Order: sequence, then C-alpha cells, then structure tokens
Amino acid sequence: MIFSSVFFIFIFLPIVLLLYFLVPKILKNPVILIASLIFYAWGEPVYILLMIFSILFNYLTGLEIDDCRSKGLDKKARTAFWLAVGVNLGILGFFKYFGFFIDNLNAVLPFDISYHPLALPIGISFYTFQTLSYIIDVYKGKVKVQKNIIYFGTYISMFPQLIAGPIVRYSDIEDQLKDRKVNLALFGNGTAWFLRGLAKKVLLANNIGMAFDAITALPLGEMSVLTAWIGCAAYTFQIYFDFSGYSDMAIGLGKMFGFNFMKNFDYPYTSSSITEFWRRWHISLSSWFREYVYIPLGGNRVSIKRNILNIFIVWLLTGFWHGAAWNFIFWGIYYGLLLLLEKFVLKNILQRLPGIVKHIYTMFFVMIGWVLFFSPSLGSALQYIGTMFGIGACALADATALYYLSNYFILFIILIICTLPYTYKRFSHCMVSSKVKRYFVLASYIALFILSTAYLVNATYNPFLYFRF
Amino acid sequence: MKKLNWIFYIKYVLLFFLLIFMIRLLSGSGTSSTPAAQVDADVTSAINMDMLSAADHRMFKRLYGINANDYEDVRLYVSGSNMEVEELLIVKLKDQSQAESVESAINTRLEKQLQSFEGYGPEQCKLLNDHILDVRGNYILFIVHNDAAAADKAFRKSL
Repeated sequence: MIFSSVFFIFIFLPIVLLLYFLVPKILKNPVILIASLIFYAWGEPVYILLMIFSILFNYLTGLEIDDCRSKGLDKKARTAFWLAVGVNLGILGFFKYFGFFIDNLNAVLPFDISYHPLALPIGISFYTFQTLSYIIDVYKGKVKVQKNIIYFGTYISMFPQLIAGPIVRYSDIEDQLKDRKVNLALFGNGTAWFLRGLAKKVLLANNIGMAFDAITALPLGEMSVLTAWIGCAAYTFQIYFDFSGYSDMAIGLGKMFGFNFMKNFDYPYTSSSITEFWRRWHISLSSWFREYVYIPLGGNRVSIKRNILNIFIVWLLTGFWHGAAWNFIFWGIYYGLLLLLEKFVLKNILQRLPGIVKHIYTMFFVMIGWVLFFSPSLGSALQYIGTMFGIGACALADATALYYLSNYFILFIILIICTLPYTYKRFSHCMVSSKVKRYFVLASYIALFILSTAYLVNATYNPFLYFRF
Repeated sequence: MKKLNWIFYIKYVLLFFLLIFMIRLLSGSGTSSTPAAQVDADVTSAINMDMLSAADHRMFKRLYGINANDYEDVRLYVSGSNMEVEELLIVKLKDQSQAESVESAINTRLEKQLQSFEGYGPEQCKLLNDHILDVRGNYILFIVHNDAAAADKAFRKSL
C-alpha cells in the first residue's frame, strides 16, 4: 500500500484515524501496531513473517542485554549484542545482496551457481537500521530497554515511516511511545505536511517523471547532448520531489498520531558544496551512518590517513545500502571522493568563489551522481554521461530536446521555485499573519488536495522511487 | 534469572524458524531464472504468430505507459493493423514488487482497447475479454489471441 493512492487516503487512513481517536489511551499503540502490520502485509503477505521475526528477536535481545548488564555478565551481553547485529545484517544481506554476490561469483567462476532470485522485502533497509539503532543504544546504555512488546513493535513497524523512512532512532521516539498528545494544531500541522508531500509526489514528481521515462526510453545513439541533460535534470527533480514528498507525508502522518519525526530534507538543491548537500539530503540516513559507523570508527579524531579510510568506508556502505549493484557502489565512492576533495583540497578555494558558482559546481556534480543512480548498470551510466558530454550523441541539440524543453518549460520553472525555501516560508508566514491570508493558505491546501486526487484517480500505479531500497 | 534464560531460548527457536523460512524461499520462491529469450521462444513457437510482429521499447512505452528499462526484460508483439487486437506481452520483473505496476498498466491498456472497439467490433471485444493475464513469480504474461490458452500453457512450462 502506498500513501499516494486513493485507497490509502480515502479508506485506510480515515479508518485508522477514527479507531485511533476513539479508543482509550492504552489501546492507541496497539491500534497503530495492528494497522502497521496490515499496511505492510497488504503488499508483502509473505514478508510480514520477517517483520514479526524482527520485532520478536530484537525485543528479546534488548531484554537479554539489559538483564545480563544488570547482573554484571558483560561477556554474555556482548555475545547477545553481536549475535543481534549479525542476524539483522545477515537478513539484510541475504534478501538484498544474495543475488548480487552470486551473480558476481558466477562472473569469475568457471561454472554457474543457479539460484532463485528473491524479491526484496519492502522497507527492509529502513527498518533494519531502526532495529540496529535500538540494539546498539541499549548495549551502549544510551537508552533504557523497552519492556513493552507492543511499544517496541509499534516503533519498528510504524506505518507512516516503515517503508522509506525517515530512519527514526529509538532514542528520538522513546518518550513519545509512552506519552504523546495530539491537539488540533498538531493534527492540522500534520495534515498540511501530508498534503504538501502528496502534492510534491503526485503533481511534481510524477509529472516530471513522465519526461524522464520518455527520454530514457530513447536509444542513447539517438539522443542529443541537450536531451541527455534535460533527462538528467528531470530525474534530479523527480527523485527530490518523490523522496522528500514521501518524507513529508511520513512526518505529517506521524504528527496526526502525535509523533514528531526528524526532518529528512532541508532544501538540498540550495547547497553551495557537496558537503552541505549531504547535510541537507536524506538527513536521517547520513546521521545514522555518522552516529553508528563514522564515529565508532574514530571519526575525524584520528590520523589523516585513517580519517580518509573512515570516510571511504562510510560512503562505500552508503552506496551499497542503496542497492546491490556496482553503479550504487560507484555512486557511494564518487561522493566519498568529492567529500574528501572538498575537505582536504577545495575547502579554501570554494570559500572564495561567488555563491552562484558554488551552486553551479554543486548541482553539476549532484546531477552527474544521479546518472549513476538511475542507470540500470555502470556501463549504461557511463554511456549516458558520455552522451551528456557529446560522446556518442547524435547532435548538440535536436528537435526532441526542443520538444521536451518547450513542453516542460513551465513545469521546470515551478520545480525550481519549489526547491527553494521562499515559497514555504511565505506560506508559514501567512498562517500566522492576517485571517484573510490564513484562509488563502487553507484554500491553497484544499486546491492541492483536489488536484492531487484528480491526478491519482486517472493515474496508473506509481510507487515511490525509494521503495526499491 | 532462570526464568529469563528460558525466555531467551525463544530467540534460538525464532532463529530456527527464520532459517526454515529462508530455505523455503530459496527452494520454492516461485521466481524463475529462465532467460526471457527462452520464455519468449517457447511461447511464440506454441501459437500462430502470423499477425503479430515484434515491437520496440518505445512502442511498449506508448501502449502501456511504463518504461521498459525499469524491468529485467520486456518482449512485446503487436498486430500490424489497427483493426486487430492480437497482442502478446512477456515481462520479466526485476523483483516481484513491480508486479502491481505492470498489472495495472496492462489493465489500463485492456480497458482502452475495449473502449475503442465497444459497439462496432464484437469479435475484437470477445478476443479482448478472453485475454489471459498470468503473473508467475517474476514473470508476467499478457496475451490477446485465439490461442491464448496454448500460449499460457507454454509460458508456465517454460518457467
């Protein structure tokens, strides 16, 4: 089930909200847990078993670590901890990377190992990182063990952020699981977040996605340089509005149920450097890797050589987290290299450059990065990048490029405006200024909802891009 | 402590069930590693293909509204005439979560075709209504053809 579907918006969500607000406080978490399991089982009837396993196994591990710690059995606690880390990463590795490893083994071995390709359980990369954050924090004594299995199950499976994040750390939500309140203001704020996310996904991402799909369906030999850049720009906007749209909807749904999740995007395309871009893009993933990989490895409080190695490890893992394919690994290494360059070589030079040059520099490398991301293989990514620079392109510009440019020109302008904070800030300002302006904002949200619904009714199934991670 | 130890053994029971679950998935996941070219050859040799010719990815995008590059492999055959509705589509998915989007695109295509021939093309409508849409693990077959059943039989056998 996806948020941007008529069934979710008009049937599932209203029923769950109604039940949630009708039942007494003690039953609120059970309602969310059951709703979340139904939500997950809707698309993954088999893998719901995996989700239930994950809840039970990690819940028991938390109890065991806490029990051993309280009795001074540190060695036993360590064994339980490493077993849990191994099992969680083992499950992720098995379902996500098994086929990749066998394919690569088959490429070097003189014989072929045959296997059944496995479907990727939706959201496994996200909820595995959540369970790991809980186990690590319990082991390190940063959070108290959760003794209520309903609360723990609610944390792992919570449907608003189950499938594509934000990756919520247990420490951020521990108190809210026990005690939270929803008032009209928070519910209204959540609805606004949800509607904004819905509009980003349905009106912006899906529409520009059509241009991207049409352009990438062209054979590369028939593509001009300009067409290739338009295709790349289309994906650059599509992935941002798709993923940040999902995150906004997740944050909004969370607020409707009284939860406050961290923001996952902070206008990343306004960044002046790659380092800044990664502080603004998929914030929950970057902070997870910083907290649980980079800092435990020593972070930057080590020798320069070791620091470089640490950065490479983190970015190799970030790339690999996104998908079991070489282009994702190269995508991670690509960003690792860029960040190292900025940290050790370009830092002073970048500071002296005018703002506009820094933006162009950042967006240039971000767009090249997205080619590695959207291409089905490393070879096709390199071919596409070649076309963007005239290698193998049919012309510098052609009728196809002009067609897409003229047809999507207004949409591109809207997309650029919507990546900037100005519009959102104006809206927020209007909400707290005059009554007339407030009604204008409300009318705008209603219009966005009606428009999005109209698109949804006519559109074919259009899942979020980040579902495959 | 003893009581808690007993509870922690459940962890190992859970791990045992996980192992069985994984083995079952690997041995009978329902997905097939048969190459799409092989499935294509098996299906097309089982039926009369005189009125059908192979279509490219652009045609697939035009008819179904989805991008062939998103899938492992796409084989599409369409009739050369606008007045014929015979069609054969074989899609090999990258993973089974894609099945829903392909099925939805196929149903949309089917509805459009039915609307086009409704009222004046009873034979075409009958063929369209007798279509077969078969989702088998990571493979999907959609066929509008007099020999649709034979094609489906060959499809299942091929996987």
